[in-house]
Amino acid sequence: MYPFEGLFSLLVLSLVLETQALTPTHHLTTTDVARLQAVLSQPFTDLKSAYYSVVGLSKLGIFVADADETCRFINSNLDPSSVESLFYAAEASQALSGCEIPVTNDTRDLLLATVSEDSTASQIHQSVSALSALGLPLASQEVVSALKARISKEDNVLAIILALQTASRLSQQAELGEILEEIEDLAARLDDLGGVYLQFEEGLEATALFVSAAYSLSDHVDMEPPLKEDQVIQLVNSIFSKKSWDSLSEAFSVASAAASLSNNRFHVPVIVSAQGPAAVSHSHPFLQLQVTDVLCQPLSSASVLVESASAVASKSAILSQAPFTLRDGVFELNFMASQPASGYYQFSVAITGDSRFVANHVELKVKVSTRVAINNMDLSVVDKDQSIGPKTTRVEYPTKAKASFMADSHQNFAMTFQLVDETTGVELTPHQTFVRLHNQKTGQEVVFVAEPDSKNLYKFELDTAERKTEFDSISGTYALYLMVGDATLENPILWNVADVVLKFLDEEAPGTIQAKTLYVPKPEIQHLFREPEKKPPTVVSNAFTALVLSPFLLLLILWFKLGANISNFTLSPSTILFHIGHAAMLGLMYVYWTHLNMFQTLKYLAIIGSLTFLAGNRMLAQKAVKRSAHIVFSFNLKCGGGFFSSPGLNSIQIN
Amino acid sequence: MSNSVFSVISRFVEEYRSSTPNKLKMIDAYLLYILLTGVFQFLYCVLVGTFPFNSFLSGFISCVGSFILAVCLRIQINPQNKRDFLTVSPERAFADFLFAHTVLHLVVVNFVG
Repeated sequence: MYPFEGLFSLLVLSLVLETQALTPTHHLTTTDVARLQAVLSQPFTDLKSAYYSVVGLSKLGIFVADADETCRFINSNLDPSSVESLFYAAEASQALSGCEIPVTNDTRDLLLATVSEDSTASQIHQSVSALSALGLPLASQEVVSALKARISKEDNVLAIILALQTASRLSQQAELGEILEEIEDLAARLDDLGGVYLQFEEGLEATALFVSAAYSLSDHVDMEPPLKEDQVIQLVNSIFSKKSWDSLSEAFSVASAAASLSNNRFHVPVIVSAQGPAAVSHSHPFLQLQVTDVLCQPLSSASVLVESASAVASKSAILSQAPFTLRDGVFELNFMASQPASGYYQFSVAITGDSRFVANHVELKVKVSTRVAINNMDLSVVDKDQSIGPKTTRVEYPTKAKASFMADSHQNFAMTFQLVDETTGVELTPHQTFVRLHNQKTGQEVVFVAEPDSKNLYKFELDTAERKTEFDSISGTYALYLMVGDATLENPILWNVADVVLKFLDEEAPGTIQAKTLYVPKPEIQHLFREPEKKPPTVVSNAFTALVLSPFLLLLILWFKLGANISNFTLSPSTILFHIGHAAMLGLMYVYWTHLNMFQTLKYLAIIGSLTFLAGNRMLAQKAVKRSAHIVFSFNLKCGGGFFSSPGLNSIQIN
Repeated sequence: MSNSVFSVISRFVEEYRSSTPNKLKMIDAYLLYILLTGVFQFLYCVLVGTFPFNSFLSGFISCVGSFILAVCLRIQINPQNKRDFLTVSPERAFADFLFAHTVLHLVVVNFVG
């Protein structure tokens, strides 16, 4: 039972997840592409940077201005004895039109000799690329076996990427199946960061080179690479999240990846972005979308369709299957023609036209703004006991009421109005509807909120007596402002409606109002230190000290009565040393109490204690010998004389 | 009733006076001294207050500890208990008594503050 439940919930979860496909969160904008071009167009200093610049720019579709100058530079910096140099020169010259590198037999032999199991994958890649760029024949099967051997020896990511890149230069008849499988193995090595990014731990350059190598090999053998759509999008996020590049090689790798992702036979990621903010209004009724590939080139073969558009608040569908029209490279839709009410709408857009498109379902949030108009603004002063009928004055926006209104503690000031959409007349409830009363003399202002009732009619009532604390009971003329604002309103309103003269009963407040300052020094806090505990009077303490010491006297008296003496005190050195040591230990205790800490005491105690121990050991041993001798003696007496002699010793030694 | 109690007490005192060796009586006097000292300290605490509580605890623990160690010494020295302490000679008992007192006083002086 439980496994089935688990399976069922897993199925439901996977269905839910599949319906929400990933869309790229990072992509290159036109400025980023321009920056990439600028980085690659920097003047080159050596052959390697010339290779990166020329070939990188050719991948972006840009050709170097001064082809002849570049060709001369390449030829003059070429070192025919180095495979690497030949590789850079050959590749760069192939990107330039009409640039020839002189090839000798030695060059060709050198390149062919590098194709073996003993060279590194990088060397094999460089020699095969050079041979192919220079138009020289090469034995594809040999290359394949050498690559396979190198892959198993050098198991790192960069070597395998170079092997993939090399394989895309070989003849299609060669057995590239095993090398093709490496794409899947490498894809498994990618790190998934938060479900958004997919990259190698070796970094951005490795990830970008992997993408370009995988797609060039897949295109070469015409087999779809084993990368799922979500993985492709995650790779796009990783590669294009960095908008400024540390080195020329990094910029080159990003350019290669961008070129391969925008132009390969299998997967073309689609980037959809709104032109400007995704908002429409009566003045701007068209929703404009830019649909491009990763290199910001517009996809003219695409057709863009709104699958569904529904209001976020009410979830009611407004549009279904509405097409966008292409105009000047931008796709636009007249959303206001469907007469949507103001608010936010969730759009689900599909881009079709090419089976290679990846991430071609996009969710967009579109805002519809409108202008607000205030209707039926009625101001009145109502008596609390309602004996006198209210006098209502209507004010038209944006004029101000001619007469000012008087309200004292017996009266309430009331205001009602309606907020409607200017074009459709539909009632609106914006987020911010505030009534602000500003005292021009003192600069004081009080803000209240006007709330709508069930019929969307806004009401504001000011009870002078109830609200006197907000006003600090200061009477005077207050200018009344109405503030209306909302994210979907194009015309926020600040309207000085009228002047209100308020009279408060008790004027306790001070004449001038100090602005509530937050940044003045606060009153000083006096710290109350812990009071020392109350001690008892000294007399009591002294009395009890005497009382506690008194039993010692009792002890001495009792001992004297019992007949304690030191008659058995032997003056042997161990005894003296023991007593001195013991006295020293007691003295150390006193010194510990007054001066020392535990560590020092332990140090001294170790010294004195060991001495005392040795002396005491000796002394007690001697005593033990004496005692056993006495027992033997008294035993002999007993056996001999039959006298009952007192066991043990008569004399006690005070130790 | 009180008669029997009184007679038991007087009998006990008589036995004590006659049959207890002098050494043990010395130790008993010492025990009484320690007891009284502890009692007076406790009396002070109850009557006047626990103000330096750590000092009270230290002094009281000292009395209790000394009492216990002296009782141990008395038990080990008592010749009637010789069979229970075959490996412990009276000298050894006394040495243990001194060592334990050193440790006790170290702790007490540390705590008295």
